[in-house]
Amino acid sequence: MITLTGTPTITTERLTLRAPLPQDAPTFVEFYKTDRAQYVGGPKDDRRGWEFFCTEIGHWVVRGYGMFVVTYTGDDTPLGIIGHWNPKTWPEQEVGWVIFDPAQEGKGVAFEAAKAVIDYTWTTLKWDTIVSYIAYPNTRSIALAERLGAVRDESAEVPGTAYVYRHPRPTA
Amino acid sequence: MSVTFSAPTLETARLILRAPELSDFDALAAFYASPRAAFVGGPQSRELSWRSLALEAGHWVLRGFGRWTLVEKASQAPVGIVGLWHPEGFPENELGWDLFDGATGKGYATAAAIAARAYAYDTLGWTTLTSLIAVGNDGSRRVAQRLGATYDSDFTHDRFGSMQLWRHPGPEALA
Repeated sequence: MITLTGTPTITTERLTLRAPLPQDAPTFVEFYKTDRAQYVGGPKDDRRGWEFFCTEIGHWVVRGYGMFVVTYTGDDTPLGIIGHWNPKTWPEQEVGWVIFDPAQEGKGVAFEAAKAVIDYTWTTLKWDTIVSYIAYPNTRSIALAERLGAVRDESAEVPGTAYVYRHPRPTA
Repeated sequence: MSVTFSAPTLETARLILRAPELSDFDALAAFYASPRAAFVGGPQSRELSWRSLALEAGHWVLRGFGRWTLVEKASQAPVGIVGLWHPEGFPENELGWDLFDGATGKGYATAAAIAARAYAYDTLGWTTLTSLIAVGNDGSRRVAQRLGATYDSDFTHDRFGSMQLWRHPGPEALA
């Protein structure tokens, strides 16, 4: 078995955020086949979804950081994928979020996980700035960005077509 | 912070086969931007090539095997990607090889494929191995023939188009 080593785990009041594992692939691939994936590069068929999940894991290897799978602590069912994303030619490093199952929306999971990831980004990764790229009109995602305090930055460079939301630096 | 995975390293007379890493990116992107990539889904942009590099690494973790970057001992440069491959949509485990510009004609693909095939049979315990070769990719077909593989059947891949599936001699035949 080949496993990733050196990936961090983040815990919050209810959640555990860990690196993606092979057993998460079916949930990820099924999500990407649905219209829910339309604002995050989908929908994708089985092959493209599987390849993209490979890329999610490989991002950790080539960047040293990546997207976390979000679970309830004590239940390893993948709820979504939230974390850092920076393919080679993107203008900036991003914090992004996806909740797989609509039944898991409205419980504050994405907010709690994204908040923890953003805190980790400032304190541990020590990025200078954080953006979230959000495809229009992904209103749920825009609402989450705004709830996190992010503000639309109309002067920022965009990869493709998206709104750029910039997260406020914490005032120490 | 260092995130790694525990891929094995193989060695031939002139090559080191090691896990793909970020420092391979420029060579890989140049390959995927070139006409030589026409048979493996290219030419493609740097953005897509970066995703391809991440895909190579992620395949190792998801499948437990993958493709190695060939590093030429003499120059320390990455000269190709060879190894064991089974992404979603492939019919069987595959032994694949891509050589970057300037690395052909030296027997590198054959030597690296022999090492990768031996790893598949001797370490992973596989009993058969195929290679998918795009119709018209004569250079790749000649490598398959040098490796003792024979034509098995036709296969259509939704991205790579019409391909031939070649089958390698099994572990007993090579013993």
